[in-house]
This record gives sequence, structure tokens and C-alpha cells, in this order.
Amino acid sequence: MKIIPIYIEAGVSGFESPAAEYKELGLSLDELLIENPTATFIGLASGESMQGIGIFDGDLLIVDRSKQVKNNAVIVANYNGCFVCKTLNKTHAQLISASQIHPPITITTSDDFQIEGVVTRVIRILEPIRELNQCML
Amino acid sequence: MYALVDATSFYASAEKVFDPSIRHKPVVVLTNNDGCICAVCPIAKKLNIPKFGPYFKIKHYLAKHNVVIRSSNYELYADLSERMMNVAARFCDNQHIYSIDECFLHFKQFTKLVDNWHDYGYQIRKVVWRETRLPVGVGIANTPTLAKAANHAAKKLPGYNGVAVIDTEQSRKSILAQMNVSDVWGIGSRLSKKLMVMGVNTALELANQCPKQMRKQFSVVVERTINELNGIVCLSWDDVKEPKQEIFSTRSFGQRVTDYNALKSALTSHVNIVARKLRKQNSLAKKLYIFAHSSQYQDNYYKQSVIVQFPQATNNTLVMANAVTSALPSIFRQGVLFYKCGVGAIELESNRYRQPDMFSPDLNNESLMQCFDMINSRYGQGTLSMATESKQHSWQMKRHFLSPSYTTKWSDIPRISC
Repeated sequence: MKIIPIYIEAGVSGFESPAAEYKELGLSLDELLIENPTATFIGLASGESMQGIGIFDGDLLIVDRSKQVKNNAVIVANYNGCFVCKTLNKTHAQLISASQIHPPITITTSDDFQIEGVVTRVIRILEPIRELNQCML
Repeated sequence: MYALVDATSFYASAEKVFDPSIRHKPVVVLTNNDGCICAVCPIAKKLNIPKFGPYFKIKHYLAKHNVVIRSSNYELYADLSERMMNVAARFCDNQHIYSIDECFLHFKQFTKLVDNWHDYGYQIRKVVWRETRLPVGVGIANTPTLAKAANHAAKKLPGYNGVAVIDTEQSRKSILAQMNVSDVWGIGSRLSKKLMVMGVNTALELANQCPKQMRKQFSVVVERTINELNGIVCLSWDDVKEPKQEIFSTRSFGQRVTDYNALKSALTSHVNIVARKLRKQNSLAKKLYIFAHSSQYQDNYYKQSVIVQFPQATNNTLVMANAVTSALPSIFRQGVLFYKCGVGAIELESNRYRQPDMFSPDLNNESLMQCFDMINSRYGQGTLSMATESKQHSWQMKRHFLSPSYTTKWSDIPRISC
């Protein structure tokens, strides 16, 4: 919810703040990072295979299900019952990691595979946050 | 035009959204306290799992078929419901949310933009699926009752595949003829039995009755339903949301209760919920129904109920809590393992047309209750409560198979392998 704070004015007051008329809503990270709230979910990156494009273990991933999936987009997919984050090569139907030690995975018809959404933002947590500590375990 | 959009086995489908490992498995969801099965996913339906059956009775059958069992995760369902409703609302001028998993869409200006309702229905279904991963059925017609019938056809009749449109006389007759009268929106089970005795078995046969005559024989509601089945709009959203005639709050205990004060505390909490709901719809109750019983599946089944009549109709939590205190000695019995209890406000009347009593003092104390409600709605339910409601709810919900709150708790967000 967005609230513009209006302070209670007591009977005795000094001068009104010259900036009072210019008061606006503060900046909201939600507004900046989440384009389509109904279609977006937040996940926790776990593993090292995407470090090459800057996704590290413990990063927050913002995933938008409504976005068109372009070739070589960074996506989250259901790959055999597990959420994975990879780059999608549409021409070769491959999931590509951003790391030398993880070879590309070719998707076959026997695989259970659905694209869940496009990773639109990555958030790195530098200082630990209490709320997130538990899920980092 | 109207559409009814509803999710297929909503609770079970919601469990699959953030857990891809169970998408192709049979899933059932249990009610409060893991008592009964309240949702069965389409895969589990093929195993003939009965809905609303007690869980413990078919526990072994479920285990044998590797059925995934989940407790009701209301935090998750509320969030996914909101997303689904928001997506559906984009497609119409007006939306009326009817329950957690269904909404009516009303098309006025939008009608001009749509040339094929069938395609439009599929588009709604596709977009809701893409953005929320919830499967929905869509029924479209020119009255709410027919939209509901079309939705029934979309999900139950072969060949419809999740979308059905009633836009011609032919489609109306064909769908209504294949529908039991008991499946018509607004026709309850008791009423449908009477209709069946009269030889009215299908929705089409009901539609062909004379509305005026049916009004005399039954009620104005039946007349309206018949008109709606014939394409005449009679319902507006206000009719759909009439104040409730009875308000109940009941629940089975997480663990059996044998203690007098524990039972009192549980009943007082139910009173608190009921009184709050009464005030919300501006009603007063003349009577309070209070009951408690042991498990029907165990020996020495014990059930006791009391109806307390108030000197004047009330929605005051304190007055209603006192009713519990006075009634409890005749309900409680030493040695009984109480399994479930609850209270119900019955014989409601509107607070607006209240007739005060000249001789007895006003018991309602409206300003106190207003203050009580305001504090609780601002700082969270339970901030202010009766002293008899214990803070530690030992009788509260048992949820052994609860999935994480993927979208509402930071510690529960889904993990994505990199």
C-alpha cells in the first residue's frame, strides 16, 4: 500500500515546512523491479552454474511469467520436476549454463519440461538479512 | 454478456504451482485439522477418491497409490486467488468475485471488441494459465445463471475442453438438456428433489416451466432462475451478496479436548468470530446455538447442544460470550474426548430496523464494539480478545502436511537450481 504521510498538526505550531507542498511518495523498489505483479514470483538461486552471467548462490531472482521468451533469454524452467535457471537456446533446444564445468543440457521429448518465466532481475544480498537467513541454510 | 471463470480443483492446483515435482502426480488437499479431503486434482479424480470423505478412512488407499497429501495452505491460496482474479479482471468491464476460486465477468463496452466468444474464452484460459499456472474453466452466456451452466459444461461435458459458450438457442438447449436440475445455480438439493418428483429432471425442463406458476409454488428465487435460464437477466451483484441468514463458526480440535476451561476458551473464540461477522453485515442475533461433540468414529459418541435466547437481539461479543459461560455446564461432561465444537448465530435481524425494548437496558454497547473492531482491524485480529480465549491456542489447526508459503514468507520462497 502506498501512503502519503500527513502529520497531525497540534494547535501550537511553528512555521510550516517550506517543502510540505512538494512531498511525494518515496521511491519503491517494487515499482522499479516488478513490471507485472500478478505474473511475477521471487525465487532463491541455489548453485554456481550461472556465475558467468552474474547469478550467484543466494541471489534473489525475479521471474516474470508474462514475458515473451526470446532466444538466449535467462529463464526459469521446470526441468523434470525441479526449478532450474539457465539460458535457453531455442534453436538447439538446449539449456545452457554460464560456467565451464556445466555442459549444455539438450531437452528431449522424454523430459518433463516447461518454461516457467523469464528472469528479469537479479538481486545480490551483501549484508545478511534476518528474514532471508533461514532460507539460505 | 457474462462469463464465469473458476479454477479447476483450486486448492489442489494451487499446490502444484510452486512445486513442479508434483505436477504430474495425484494430489489431494485436506480441510482444517486434516480432517476431510476438500480438493482432488484431476489426476487423483481418476483414482476415484471421494471428495469430502474423512481422511483417515482412505489413508491406506492414498498411500498405496502414492497420492500426495497436503494440508490447506490458506496463505498460498489467498495470494494465488488474488493473482488469478487480477488477471481475469483485465478481460472485462466489471468483475464480481464470488468465492476464492470463481468470479463473474461482465462485458458491456468490451462486447464491441469481441467477435468470437469462443476464442475469447480460450484466451482468458490461456493467459490465466500463463501468468499464474492455474487451470481455469470459462463459461460464457448472456445471463449469470447461464454462464454458470456453460461453465459446468466446459468442465464436465465431453468435447468442451474448459471453455463453453451459450450464444445460440441451439447451444442453450443442448447444454441445459445435458445438465441435472440439481446442478443449476441456486437450486439446492432439497428443492431439486421436489422438482424431480414433479418430473423436472434436467435444467432444460426447469427452463421450460412457467415462471409465474413456479413462483407461486416455490419462491421468487426459482422464478428468477427460470427467467435467467431463458436468457433474461434478473440477478445483479447486490442480489448475490445478500446478508447471511445464519452465521456459524465451528472447527474440530487439533487434539481432543477434555478440559472444561479449554472447551470454554474454544467456544469463546468462535463467539468472537461470529459476533465480528454479525457486526460486519450489520445484523443482530436473537439466538445462539452452542454445541460440542466427540468423534462419531469412536465409541461412546457424545453430543450436546444448547440454544440460548437473548432478551433482545444482539451482536455484542461480551453478551454472547456470557451465553457460552451460562450454557457450558449443561454441555460439558467429564471424561468426554471432545472432537469438535462451535457456535451459530441464528434468527438474525437487521440492526437498521431494530426495535428497542422500552423496559430492558440496551445490551449492545455499540461504541465499545466499534472500538474493539477498529483496534483489531488495524493491529490484527486477536490484538484484543476475551480473557477466556487463551492466547496459546492448543485447540488450533493441525496442519501436518503444510506446504511452504512460497509467496508470502521470505523464508519459504522457491529454490531455483543454478
